[in-house]
Amino acid sequence: MSADTALRNRVEDLLFREAALLDEKKWQAWLQLYVEDAVFWMPAWTSEYELTVDPELGLNLLYLKGRASLEDRVFRIESGDSFASVPMARTTHLVGTVMLIDGNGADIGARASWIVHSYGIHGGITRSGSYEYRFREEAGDLRIAVKKIIMIDDKLVGPVDIFHV
Amino acid sequence: MVMSDRIAAMIDEREGRFRVDRAIYSDPDIFESEMDLFFEGGWVFLAHESQIRNSGDYFSTRIGRQPVFLVRKKDGGIGGFINACAHRAATLVPLEHGRANLFTCRFHGWAFNHDGHCVKIKNEETGAYTDMAGKDQFGLTPIARVDSYRGFIFASLKADVPALKDWLAGTTSWIDLLADQSPQGLEVIPGSSTYTVYGNWKLQAENGVDGYHVSTVHRVFAATVAQREAKANLGGLQRTESGRMLGNVDSGSYDFGNGHLGIWAKRADPTKHPLWPQKERLEKSFPPERIEWMLNRGRNLFVFPNAFIMDNPSSQIRTLNPIAPGVCEITVRCIAPVGEPAEARAARLRKFEDFYLTTGMASSDDLAALEATHSGGFGRAARWNDFARGMGAIRHGAEDTDGAKIGLVPNTMNANWDHEALYHGFYRFWKERMIEGSRS
Repeated sequence: MSADTALRNRVEDLLFREAALLDEKKWQAWLQLYVEDAVFWMPAWTSEYELTVDPELGLNLLYLKGRASLEDRVFRIESGDSFASVPMARTTHLVGTVMLIDGNGADIGARASWIVHSYGIHGGITRSGSYEYRFREEAGDLRIAVKKIIMIDDKLVGPVDIFHV
Repeated sequence: MVMSDRIAAMIDEREGRFRVDRAIYSDPDIFESEMDLFFEGGWVFLAHESQIRNSGDYFSTRIGRQPVFLVRKKDGGIGGFINACAHRAATLVPLEHGRANLFTCRFHGWAFNHDGHCVKIKNEETGAYTDMAGKDQFGLTPIARVDSYRGFIFASLKADVPALKDWLAGTTSWIDLLADQSPQGLEVIPGSSTYTVYGNWKLQAENGVDGYHVSTVHRVFAATVAQREAKANLGGLQRTESGRMLGNVDSGSYDFGNGHLGIWAKRADPTKHPLWPQKERLEKSFPPERIEWMLNRGRNLFVFPNAFIMDNPSSQIRTLNPIAPGVCEITVRCIAPVGEPAEARAARLRKFEDFYLTTGMASSDDLAALEATHSGGFGRAARWNDFARGMGAIRHGAEDTDGAKIGLVPNTMNANWDHEALYHGFYRFWKERMIEGSRS
């Protein structure tokens, strides 16, 4: 097995594991896939063709800095006190067309496409888009340092939380 | 029952009560009348001037069921037209915003200028037109009235409406509190979020000025930010104000007249707010009682029938586009003082994302609650929504010495945003106009 194939296997394994953990709502295990200073970013559309480029001074749908910010979202979901999260939607993530980018050294990246079908009080809703990941080696594991989510849908029905995309 | 009697019976003010028939949120005849009377027959908010800053900038949207667009003309004025080619109605402006010197129809190539005049009929010379039909016969249909107040653009498809400032009544005092936050005015930050809500537009109108729900629906938001701040050493503007969610601050609710409503709550710690770094500058320009209203109080303003202007954790324009009795499309945008420090701008955006989006941690819960009230309302055996709360503590007009500090004389006010008497103003205005409309 070439080094490229081995890396691809590791990246795909991580992406597919993340999808499964979100669908199974294993939040604590999901959080462990992220490095402590991870960035979880879903920019807003600024026109029919363009997205926010600078997340700091532009509008985002999600811009969570640090694993602690992901923990905030999990805290709220698990509280049972969030009106939008009871009953919680079921989801299926399909992640594919994985491409490695800059796949050498400490700065490993990948691009992938996603379709998430969710089922909740609004019935079945399918949304889709792409992911851009940056990974970091930590204690022998590949962990997520940056996850940028592009969601092509921009007229939304129902809540869209970290597990709907 | 004739329409006017049906409408009258939907608001029950007998025996010291104030109740609203739940059918008001789903009746298709009511909805059509509302669209005719309020959305297509009076002033509605369309956009902020910063969205069409330069000559040729356009913005397309709807007034009620009708597609329209606004354009910044070469003379600096604002044009507004039905967004349909004068020839055979193809949508003229296909994008939400952009810039154009001429608007050329993609169907047959007719072109229109910023004044709506037709400047080109493709192959006009071989068109065998009679003398009756020339370019001057084919202008775009203008929106009857377009006017702006402090940069907020309103429009009416009906010409016979009061002057905009008269229509806005006391809400101008609250719009001023936002518009005065920068000497260079306000700007809408690029980007928006639109969501389709399965609930009647009036439920959104109610929800955005519902102080009473905050300490239940948003206590989870308060708990989330409390645990965030307990484990991380966040300072300054990175902290989140949550006094209003814990329910232990001064507050109030307003009926401004003409269906316009407002609520405010004191910020337990205004140093967390993005306007705080500008406090000293503001103090040089405005008296202390005005600073108190501007900086120390979060305010949600509903401008009847389709807009919220909010200055609470962050600052927001929220517009309502009703689609059907049980469906409303809502768009939210962040509006901010021009020239504020980058740190404040970033904090404003993060607070906006935290709270005000369907991908966020508070508006998502609001929308779920709103949809639950819509669904629950179909239990017709139970007829009434109750709005009696606060009826024993209503102050009228000049009795409101607090509002007087910013020149505000409301219809009524309650010195507690948990009180629901503000909605009486909304529903009395609604009933009066709907009965009038049903007879005309």
